[in-house]
Amino acid sequence: MTAMLEVRGLTRRFGGLVAVNDLSFELNEGEIVGLIGPNGSGKTTTFSMLSGALRPSAGSITFNGERIDGLKANRVCHKGLARTFQVVQPFPDITACENVMIGAFANTGSGQEAEKVARERLEQVGLTPKAETLAKELTLLQLKRLEIAKALATNPKLLLLDEVAAGLTPTEVDVVLDLVNQLHSEGITFIIVEHVMRFVMNLSHRCIVIDFGSLIAEGTPEEVLNNPAVHAAYLGEEASIA
Amino acid sequence: MNLNFSGAVISQAVASGIMLGGLFALISIGLTLIWGVMKIINFAQGEFLMVALYLAYFLVAWGHIDPYITILVTVPFMFFFGIGIFRITISPILKDPVMNQIMLTLGVSLILQNLALVLFSANVESVRTRYSTWNFDIGPVVISVPQLIALIGSVICTVAVWYYLKTTDSGRAIRASAQNPTAATLMGIDVPRTYLLAFGLGSATLGLAGSLMIPFYYTSPTVGLFLGLIMFIVVVLGGMGNLMGCFVGGLVIGLAETVGSAVFPGSLARVFTFVIFIVFLLFRPQGVLSRRQS
Amino acid sequence: MSVKMPYIRILIVGALICLLPLVLDTYYMHIAILVLIWAFLACAWNIIGGYAGQHSLGNGLYMGIGAYSVAYLTNRFDLTPWVGLVVAIVLSAAAAAFIGWIVFRYALKGAYFALVTIALTEAAVYIVSNIPALGGAGGMQMEYRGNSIAYMQFAGKNGYFFGGVILLVFILLLTQWYKRKRFFYQLIAVRENEDAAEALGVDTVKAKIKANVMSGVLCAVGGVFYVQYFLYVGPRSVFGEIVSVQILIYAIVGGLGTTWGPVVGAVLLVPLSEIARAQLGNSFQGAHLLIYGAVMVLTMLFMPFGIMGAVDRLRQRWQHRSATPLVDSQGGEAS
Repeated sequence: MTAMLEVRGLTRRFGGLVAVNDLSFELNEGEIVGLIGPNGSGKTTTFSMLSGALRPSAGSITFNGERIDGLKANRVCHKGLARTFQVVQPFPDITACENVMIGAFANTGSGQEAEKVARERLEQVGLTPKAETLAKELTLLQLKRLEIAKALATNPKLLLLDEVAAGLTPTEVDVVLDLVNQLHSEGITFIIVEHVMRFVMNLSHRCIVIDFGSLIAEGTPEEVLNNPAVHAAYLGEEASIA
Repeated sequence: MNLNFSGAVISQAVASGIMLGGLFALISIGLTLIWGVMKIINFAQGEFLMVALYLAYFLVAWGHIDPYITILVTVPFMFFFGIGIFRITISPILKDPVMNQIMLTLGVSLILQNLALVLFSANVESVRTRYSTWNFDIGPVVISVPQLIALIGSVICTVAVWYYLKTTDSGRAIRASAQNPTAATLMGIDVPRTYLLAFGLGSATLGLAGSLMIPFYYTSPTVGLFLGLIMFIVVVLGGMGNLMGCFVGGLVIGLAETVGSAVFPGSLARVFTFVIFIVFLLFRPQGVLSRRQS
Repeated sequence: MSVKMPYIRILIVGALICLLPLVLDTYYMHIAILVLIWAFLACAWNIIGGYAGQHSLGNGLYMGIGAYSVAYLTNRFDLTPWVGLVVAIVLSAAAAAFIGWIVFRYALKGAYFALVTIALTEAAVYIVSNIPALGGAGGMQMEYRGNSIAYMQFAGKNGYFFGGVILLVFILLLTQWYKRKRFFYQLIAVRENEDAAEALGVDTVKAKIKANVMSGVLCAVGGVFYVQYFLYVGPRSVFGEIVSVQILIYAIVGGLGTTWGPVVGAVLLVPLSEIARAQLGNSFQGAHLLIYGAVMVLTMLFMPFGIMGAVDRLRQRWQHRSATPLVDSQGGEAS
């Protein structure tokens, strides 16, 4: 079975700084992969390259058999790869429903259809009561859910979640955990970048650990947690055990 | 196109261009400071200069004061004028989206322009001073003394502002606030007051410019339109907040104007300047001398 | 509230306006026509400025292309202005597409974008002033050819008035129709958060270019109407920063990104300026622009969302829940 996502030699330089260094990994359909590493290890940069927000300096990204490296973000989205942002990026002055409709419009030109999809996705993330609220008036948890709903509305096959649990209380983390599990059972593949270990451990089938832009370990969450190289990378930094 | 490439014409164009460039640089110092420090795009900057020019004009024409003495009045006046406008109109909306600030300063520029129109009528006013016709020759090139003085003034002003920003406490406060207002606040700098100071300083330089210009330039309600646009062009060329760049940018545009006039007929030369501007906005908005940020 | 309500509302207002000729005399009819022209132009600007959030300060450029196309072709070749209209549309579309492509490809935003548009429209002033065939600095006069639709000219004010009403109703209907379409949603997304829009599949560059073209073409149409009414066009009457700023003052004061905002702005400000010009114009030239400047400053300080924007926000607070259609803060459900 060919992998859904194949990343080979992915590299990104910012002037003299190498943020991502020759990263290679694979992802099969239906997996939930956790991408973890200390702060500044290049996780978000990797996401940005996968989603098309950044151009790789070198390397290739193949998604469902197609090369997508270098494509702009909106084209990547149309291929079925969506992402959420670490710092939530809502459209502040429109309602939650309209926010999600923007995503829905990726697959339809009809306002009615988009609204239908939007409301379904809002229901899925539990935001229906807030559908007519302006995005700028939502709480952080609601915004995170909105962020997911927006990405979902584009009907992705692969969804990249960038620190979606950050800043949430343990109860709120559970809410998002359940949501991701549910979405996964509906057939969406995930890569999650996360610092909240409980989130990663509970969800991921597999973890990829990077530090200074390079892959340092790969395996099941348990394997990775016990890996001395991973400990060394995190040395001095307390991974939050929420 | 009158392609008159005789040596005399070219050298005159270059000489005039340098002096015009010095003038352009002088009037742009304020904007580069304000834009660079506060990220405020003051569309009324040209009209501020108009105010300074009118002030200098009246002092010279009616008060019979030597134009270079008027500096003692115009600079402090413009300082407080700038602070006043800032306090009343701009500082309330500092946190608002940039476009709101632009619209607001556009409104201010309309008010100033038309206030001048209402008060002084549309006449173009200029005044003869004993300096106005003073010039000397270097070979085929005629150098106008007041323009030369303006050029020298421009250099002095650029260096003075640079020195001020580099060495004095308040100057460094301005630079700190420009780079990182939050960090600056945390270090005890009164950022709002620093902004006020920077805006006042930027306006004050226009006072100097007005006094230096009045011996050879004119004033009218619409003088700010063109000169204001020139300021923006120079600042974009030189890079926001980049004083050296501002000077170089001024020279480039000054030369573009004079050489352009020598080559292109009529007011078409101006289009040449706009083209340069647009090209820079597209390809190098951070300016000629700034280092590219990835 | 049915989906059709907004359309009906527009048509009702349009019909009511048509009663005005019964009560207004020639002078006020002139003002009414001006209101219609500027409201139309402001609505056109609203597409790129309000919905897409790209504050162009140079839409006078397209208005000028429209006006000059018609003036030139009608004068020079004795063609009916309707041909000029078609040419105006084609030229302005091409110009807007080209300019948009260059500017948006290089991701010029905010102030930089504004500056480029100013530079372009100011450059147009100088270019046109130097082209004798276009009348140079003195502009072009058009002959009065008689009262007929073929010439797009009318003897009295009524013809122009109804023409203006048709244009305004047209653009309002158009705006309303687009509000539920993907295109406008994408424009709003671009305005609110371009990166997020890209991540959700919106081709932001294409959307902005489309908006620019739509705006440009409509401004050109406005320019055509303008020159047919005034029978004169000069470089600074269409090109140049001041005209462009005027267009957007109406939109901003009335309410950016709302259907009726630009109309409200024009209705309030145009008569104000005309009366100022009439009463004070002789002794105080420029009084009307002075008023505009003051209005602009006050609006930015106290009511940055404009009149309709403020109305929408109040309405939103009132009815927190609404069934369908959606309540959109910038557009109101039906305003």
